[in-house]
Amino acid sequence: MGTSVQVTPLCGVYNENPLSYLVSIDGFNFLVDCGWNDLFDPALLEPLSRVASKIDAVLLSYPDTLHLGALPYAMSHLGLSAPIYSTEPVFRLGLLTMYDQYLSRKAVSDFDLFTLDDVDSAFLSITRLTYSQNHHLSGKGEGIVIAPHVAGHLLGGTVWKITKDGEDVVYAVDFNHRKERHLNGIVAESFVRPAVLITEAYNALSNQPHRAQRDREFLEKIVRTLEGGGNVLLPVDTAGRALELILILEEFWAQRNLGYDIFFLTYVASSTIDYVKSFLEWMGDSIAKSFETSRNNAFQLKRVKLLINKMDLDNAPIGPKVVLASMASLEAGFSHDIFVEWASDVRNLVLFTERGQFGTLARMLQANPPPKAVKVTMSKRVPLVGDELVAYEEEQKRLKKEEELKASLLKQEESRASHGVDNTSSDPMVIDTTNSNAPPDVAGSHGGGYRDILFDGFVPPSTSVAPMFPFYENNTEWDDFGEVVNPDDYVVKDEDMNQTALHVGGDIDGKLDEAAASFILDTKPSKVVSNELTVQVKCSLIYIDFEGRSDGRSIKSIIARVAPLKLVLVHGSAEATEHLKQHCLKHICAHVYAPQIEETVDVTSDLCAYKVQLSEQLMSNVLFKKLGEYEVAWIDAVAGKTENHDMLSLLPTVSTPPPRHKSVLVGDLKMADLKQFLASKGVQVEFAGGGSLRCGEYVTLRKVGVAGQKGGGSGIQQIVIEGPLCEDYYKIREHLYSQFYLL
Amino acid sequence: MASTAQPASSLKRRDVPVTREGDQLTIIPLGAGSEVGRSCCYMTFKGKTVLFDCGIHPAYSGMSALPYFDEIDPSTIDVLLITHFHLDHAASLPYFLEKTTFRGKVYMTHPTKAIYKLLLTDYVKVSKVSIEDMLFDEQDINNSMDRIEVIDYHQTKEVNGIKFWCYTAGHVLGAAMFMVDIAGVRVLYTGDYSREEDRHLQAAEMPEFSPDICIIESTYGVQLHQPRHVREKRFTDVIHSTVSQGGRVLIPAFALGRAQELLLILDEYWSTHKELQNIPIYYASPLARKCMSVYQTYILAMNERIRNQFAHSNPFQFKFIQNLNSIDDFNDTGPCVVMASPGGLQSGLSRQLFDMWCADKKNSCVIPGYVVEGTLAKTIINEPKEVTLMNGLMAPLNMQVHYISFSAHADYAQTSAFLKELRPPNIVLVHGEANEMGRLKQKLITEFAADGNTKVLTPKNCQSVEMMFNSEKMAKTIGKLAEKTPEVGETVSGILVKKGFTYQIMAPEDLHVFSQLSTANITQRITIPFSGAFGVIKHRLEQIYESVESGTDEDSGVPTLLVHKLVTVKQDSEKHISMHWAADPVSDMVSDSVVALVLNISRELPKVVIESEASKTEEENEKRAEKVVYALLVSMFGDVKRDENGKLVISVDGNVAKLDKQNGDVESEHEGLKEKVRTAFRRIQTAVKPIPPFAS
Repeated sequence: MGTSVQVTPLCGVYNENPLSYLVSIDGFNFLVDCGWNDLFDPALLEPLSRVASKIDAVLLSYPDTLHLGALPYAMSHLGLSAPIYSTEPVFRLGLLTMYDQYLSRKAVSDFDLFTLDDVDSAFLSITRLTYSQNHHLSGKGEGIVIAPHVAGHLLGGTVWKITKDGEDVVYAVDFNHRKERHLNGIVAESFVRPAVLITEAYNALSNQPHRAQRDREFLEKIVRTLEGGGNVLLPVDTAGRALELILILEEFWAQRNLGYDIFFLTYVASSTIDYVKSFLEWMGDSIAKSFETSRNNAFQLKRVKLLINKMDLDNAPIGPKVVLASMASLEAGFSHDIFVEWASDVRNLVLFTERGQFGTLARMLQANPPPKAVKVTMSKRVPLVGDELVAYEEEQKRLKKEEELKASLLKQEESRASHGVDNTSSDPMVIDTTNSNAPPDVAGSHGGGYRDILFDGFVPPSTSVAPMFPFYENNTEWDDFGEVVNPDDYVVKDEDMNQTALHVGGDIDGKLDEAAASFILDTKPSKVVSNELTVQVKCSLIYIDFEGRSDGRSIKSIIARVAPLKLVLVHGSAEATEHLKQHCLKHICAHVYAPQIEETVDVTSDLCAYKVQLSEQLMSNVLFKKLGEYEVAWIDAVAGKTENHDMLSLLPTVSTPPPRHKSVLVGDLKMADLKQFLASKGVQVEFAGGGSLRCGEYVTLRKVGVAGQKGGGSGIQQIVIEGPLCEDYYKIREHLYSQFYLL
Repeated sequence: MASTAQPASSLKRRDVPVTREGDQLTIIPLGAGSEVGRSCCYMTFKGKTVLFDCGIHPAYSGMSALPYFDEIDPSTIDVLLITHFHLDHAASLPYFLEKTTFRGKVYMTHPTKAIYKLLLTDYVKVSKVSIEDMLFDEQDINNSMDRIEVIDYHQTKEVNGIKFWCYTAGHVLGAAMFMVDIAGVRVLYTGDYSREEDRHLQAAEMPEFSPDICIIESTYGVQLHQPRHVREKRFTDVIHSTVSQGGRVLIPAFALGRAQELLLILDEYWSTHKELQNIPIYYASPLARKCMSVYQTYILAMNERIRNQFAHSNPFQFKFIQNLNSIDDFNDTGPCVVMASPGGLQSGLSRQLFDMWCADKKNSCVIPGYVVEGTLAKTIINEPKEVTLMNGLMAPLNMQVHYISFSAHADYAQTSAFLKELRPPNIVLVHGEANEMGRLKQKLITEFAADGNTKVLTPKNCQSVEMMFNSEKMAKTIGKLAEKTPEVGETVSGILVKKGFTYQIMAPEDLHVFSQLSTANITQRITIPFSGAFGVIKHRLEQIYESVESGTDEDSGVPTLLVHKLVTVKQDSEKHISMHWAADPVSDMVSDSVVALVLNISRELPKVVIESEASKTEEENEKRAEKVVYALLVSMFGDVKRDENGKLVISVDGNVAKLDKQNGDVESEHEGLKEKVRTAFRRIQTAVKPIPPFAS
């Protein structure tokens, strides 16, 4: 029987919420994507929290909040501890995105859902794979192979292919089939006829204008605003679509030699671009080619200036400028602040390049007609002064004291615990103070009176009655040749060349920008002050689709080309999901599912399969006929056992002639092709009504039935050839036969 | 008849031994067989052909530097895999792509492709050969760039059913070891590799699958390297003491690959030694400067250490190293360190500096890598008293010469540990000087003697190595055909679909479900003028066919006949009858006979048909069939007798076979005869017996 496959959405079905799905394959639970939105509402993660501990592996597909935002929280609070797989850019840019999110939040609120350390530790456990690398899982997932494939949309974007026993489960969301400036499109040919395809309906109802036209409109709008003396704000993501926009602007600015400033403002802007420069392998062909031939790195930016601090922007020369600022939702971060500043000037332009997340300020502004005024909360982190500072310091002191008390208590216990066991074996000069196995509930009642008077690092053995200096007997072993030595002690230690690298700072967050770093390291007491204000929206608001996702029509044609046996639809408004479901049911495949949250759909293929060995005797007699990339042959064989009796083997039939089988005509007949072919053979052909083909004077050929089943899943073709008894009839039949392989 | 055609053809070859031509895997080194240079290794298996590397021999020029491409037909090669950018591994590629019939695909890693272009363009510029001797020009290199495809480490690609992927090889930036999988047989080609991690590169990875054949380099044979830190220490000590005594250090090195490693060492050493920081380090190679951006970009192909450093600043943006374009820009005033190419001191900047400095005993020359026989670098390693300068004069060699090898090739310890873990049953040694290779072979044979079946081969150039792989073919039966797993002895019939090297067996109805192929049914309908009585046709048909069923058409109510359960004959009108059937060889034949019969009836209509004699009894039929069988067997085998049990005894050349006519069983001592008789009998049976009706 086939591999059992269940899909349970944890978030993001019938709406545009973040994506997170549970896919279990023969009991091995994959969490595909682990998204959150810019509002960071823990309620969204409830379904995830119920299953987090059961998850065996996490697959991430894109480096944005919607696909991996919840990872740090899930790892630190929900008990998620599985190995994580992603591509290198998803890992790196995802990390930067989370830093940016955290810092943007932290700047305006007492954000405590996760810390930077949580982000670091979550991303540390990621295993990085390259595109079309077949990674064989081990342990519980033995036999499962996972492979990331190019998906477009964002740098490093992944379509996951999970294979077990030759059956593929493909998870493809947010893909883009179009080639873009820096990315290649999806290659649908890599996933032909998977057992299950999990895809999304997000864009099923949208249609995109032509790319060139869209780009022109985009640039025109920006230039016109600048010429009118206004500023342009592009609220973008941290390290995703922003890259494409940067390239478009760079190219255009270079072409026109424009003097207006462009700023890319995120907390991690410079490290983002530094890393992106080293990700050429992951980008589109044209970028790779330009580097290979002329060593011209497209992300060696000449026009776009990178900023990591809003102060730098404020200090920038006055005049019209374009700013790409992170947090596309305008909920927090730089884009929020800039929006509030610029919204009241009619000359300014806020250009949205992606649909705002549901329930965010960006979404509100994208409404038609846009609101005249919006209420926003301006928050700011200010250092504590006066009474507050005093109160804070006292609080800190109190906390510190408590900590110390706790620590000293703990130390007593530790010392007792450690000395209880290693009295004899411990190295005389090393005093073990970091034994974390100390049982916390052992109360330090014994001898607690004078412990505190001892200085740190010196702990009396618990067996001694009174404190005393440690005394250790130096008993050495001797043999016939003298003292026994350990040869390892005399080996010149291999100098660790990594040391130099490490003391420069080896942890993964290393390249956090200086300002950001100072911000974190800044332990100056501070608080968040917020005030609500109403902003008059006078600036122009435009939405131009630069999301880089396939549109409805292409999604449909891609699904048809992939032709899955079973299809699961997720992510997308209820309307879009329903639309795509109906479309697929009608045209593509009979098994389309669109589960609700926490509804498990069983998409185990009802396919039966077993493996056999093809014996050499059988194969030596098979004559294959070649048909495109396939070779086909009819075989009649007898089941037998292999030599070691553990497998079925197919042997040639020996004595009895095989039962006659109905002959099979293999081939795909296109009437138009046939017409040409017949014409080339000198037969008069023309299309008559109803798609039938009139050949010669009397003979008609037509295809009947099953026309509805288009795409890869076309059924058996029914072809009728009719005519009176005449020579032409046999001639045409001969030509028709030549279009097929007879088995 | 279609149904019998296949077993018939099958029997012809049954006695052929099971290993066939297709099971033979052939490996031919076209270069680097028992030599170092012009790496090129040809491999073919099951009609798929792979070429590994495409280098030139640095010691020769013109056509003689090429691998022996004449030995093979380039047009048959499906894939060409280039391991790294060194000239002896990649430099004949433009020639091979542009000047031969090769039409396959070429793969290399991203960094290799980027550096390949720079390196070869430089090679074309500096090589001082006549135009006729030029293997290719810059245009050819640019053209070749369009045909080269890139592959990332671990990425699996498939071309014509050949699957391949690559691992890091540790030799230079972008160096790869290729694993090729053809029909389940895996071949690992290491190219140049090193199992020791260094400052910027990862060590060669251990593949997760053991290959069936490992084609491995043997440059260093049975030699052992000093540990890396010892070499590094010697290197920095020599430089430190020389410059602190006011001397100059010359490091002749090939511009790319190891030079970057040395620069990393120097830059790091300088940054930790403040007292040295006023002493300049020059890196005199315009080519290398161009390549620096490649090194600064493909950080992902390097090791964890570099990637971590990258988080702070790009380690390839050196702080203490200055570029030097030519000797004219060089201001020789005091102690300094100069790294210059070429590595062999044949000519160029490194030689100019050597000539200037060799007489002063304060100066040092550090030779950091493998040096080729016949170059000055090789000569001075032996510390002669005098050397010949470029202007032909003799000069005393007073400068100190140090040979500290940093070339990242595996030594014996690495090779044997690598092979021990990998356990390939077949090892092919290439890329090694013949003596060194011989020693390595001996040592490996003794080491692997325990398991007894490890073969170590050292083919010379153009000497082919053949191996048999009786690969097991596994098929997956899917769909309707697999609803029930068959018991032993049951028959399985279906379509075998082969794509690449995977096989699937399926029912014809499922073909369109599991593959992109589709099947078709052709219904044929033909009208024949016939004005006689419908009953006559039925009567005549019954004389020929065993099964003729009468019926009426459901729509029009006209009488119909179903002949042989395949062809429906219908009386459409007074003047016409029509026939329709599903296209099929047997049905077509039946329909043809019906047509013939109907036409005959029309022609001889006035005649009264004489009722034939009562149809023959079964028994008579049997008897006649038996006679025919006997006669045919006699005509085939000559001596056929009937024995007492009714069996036929056939003797040919003293071999006797007994044939049971009832069930076709044959007894014979001689296998060949037995098969022949059985086949003959079966064919006769199908010819004599009526075609069984076939329910469609």
